Amino acid sequence: MRRLKLILVLGGVLALAASVGVARATTGATTGYPQPKVVVPTQKQAPFENRYVLTAVGSGAGIRSGEMKFEFEEGSSPQFLVGISQFYTYSPTGEIETGLFTFYPPKELPNGKGLGFTALKVGASAQYGQVTPDGELQLLTPEGDKVKGQLRLRGGGPWPVEFKVLGEEERYTASPPAARQIHEARPNNPGWGGEASEYEGEYELTNGAEDPTVKAGTLGAVIGVAQGLGVRGAVVSDGSMTVEGNPAVATVELETGGTDRTFTLTDLAWQGDQRVARVHDEGPDGPVVGHFEGTGGQGEVKGDLISGRSVYKVAFELKG
Amino acid sequence: MDRKFRTVASLIALAALGLLAIAGCGGSSSSTGGGGGDFVSGAEAACTSANEQIAALGTPQQEQVTGYLEKTEAVIEKLHKEVAALDGSGTAEAAYTEGLAKAIPVLTAMTNAARSENFDAVRELSAGLVEIHLGELAEAAKLKTCAEVPVSES
Repeated sequence: MRRLKLILVLGGVLALAASVGVARATTGATTGYPQPKVVVPTQKQAPFENRYVLTAVGSGAGIRSGEMKFEFEEGSSPQFLVGISQFYTYSPTGEIETGLFTFYPPKELPNGKGLGFTALKVGASAQYGQVTPDGELQLLTPEGDKVKGQLRLRGGGPWPVEFKVLGEEERYTASPPAARQIHEARPNNPGWGGEASEYEGEYELTNGAEDPTVKAGTLGAVIGVAQGLGVRGAVVSDGSMTVEGNPAVATVELETGGTDRTFTLTDLAWQGDQRVARVHDEGPDGPVVGHFEGTGGQGEVKGDLISGRSVYKVAFELKG
Repeated sequence: MDRKFRTVASLIALAALGLLAIAGCGGSSSSTGGGGGDFVSGAEAACTSANEQIAALGTPQQEQVTGYLEKTEAVIEKLHKEVAALDGSGTAEAAYTEGLAKAIPVLTAMTNAARSENFDAVRELSAGLVEIHLGELAEAAKLKTCAEVPVSES
C-alpha cells in the first residue's frame, strides 16, 4: 500500500492539528497517540489506509456529508492506523455545523470482518487541546473502492455508513457532496404506548445531576446559563413530566443550571420501544423548537429532548 | 543627665514602635480577617452590587449569550478589583480573592467561545468556574452575600 503524503485536506485542520498534534510529514500521520495496547497485524490494517468520502449514512445521525482519512502513525512499531474525519452535520435547528473526529485505537472486529475505532471528538474545545471519546466507528473490509460500516456518536446509533475511496488527486475545494440518507422507519403510532393508561400520569426525573450552581456564589448565574447550552447534553439537575389528554400532550419541566424551563411535547408517537414527539416552547400552540427522541415502556421514558441548540438528556419514571 | 534622658526617650520610642507593631499584627491574626470587618463589609458591598448587576441581565436567549458573558466578565473583573483593593490578608480572604482572579480567564475563554458560536465549548469551559467553588470560598471568608447565587430577574 502506498504511503500518502499527509496533506490534511480537511477544513478546520489547524484546530485539529493543534489539538492532537497532527503535523505535516513526508510519510504517515504524526498524532502523538501512544502505541495501542492491543496490536492489530499491519496487513489487516493496510487495506484501510486511504482517503474517503462519505456516500451514505443513516438519517438518524444527522450527518449531511463528510470526508475521512486513515494513515499509519509515523514511526509506530508495530504500525497502527489513525483516522481523522470532518463530518458536516445538521444542528437541531437545521443549520450545517462541522464536527471533527479522530479514530484511535484500531481493533479487530470479530471473525476478521474489519476494524473498529473509538471515535474521539475534536471540536467543542479543540483550541484547548481536548479530545473526548464520543462513539465508535466500525469499518468492514473494503470491497473495491467501497467500505461499509456503522457509526455511533453522541450516545446514539449505530447508524449505517458507506464510504468511497478517493483517488490520490481527488480533492474537494468546498464541502463534499451530500451523502445519501438511509432512512429508518419512524414511529407513527399515536401516544407513547398501546393504551393511554400505560403512559399517562405524573413522571419524575431519575437522572438529575447535582446542581453545579449551588456552591458557586456570584458565578452561579453564569454557570447556570452555560450549563444549559450546547448540543452534547445540557446538565439537568431536576425535573418532572406530566402526560395527559387525547391526543396526549406532555408537559416537561426541567431545572438546568438553576434555571427552570418548561417544554410542551405534542404529536407523541411510538413504535416498539421508540418514543418521539415534537417540542414546543410556551405551550402546545407555541412555536416548535425541536423534537424528542428516545425509548420507553413499562412506565419509563428516556432520551434526548432537543430545543434549539440545546440537548437535554432526560430519563423519567412514572410515579406509582 | 542628657545621656540618661536620651536613653529613656529611646526606650519609650522603641516601646511605642513595638505597640504599633503589635497593634498592626493584631488585625490580621485571625485566619479570616486581614482587614477584619473592613474587608467583610467592603466585599459584601461589592458583591451586593455585582449580584444585582448579574441578576438584572436575566436569562439570555441563545443569540444573547455572547453579550451576557461579556457583561458578566466585566462585572466579575470589577468585583475582583474591588475585593483585591481591600487587601484582605487572611487565608480565607486571600482564597476568595484568588478565586475571583481564577474566574476571569475562564470567563474570557467562554466569551470567546460564544463569539465563535461554539456553545458546547462554553458549557465545557464553565466546568472551570464550577471547580473554583467561589460560594464555598465566600462562606469560609464570612462573606454571606458573596456566597449567594444571583437570582435572575427574568
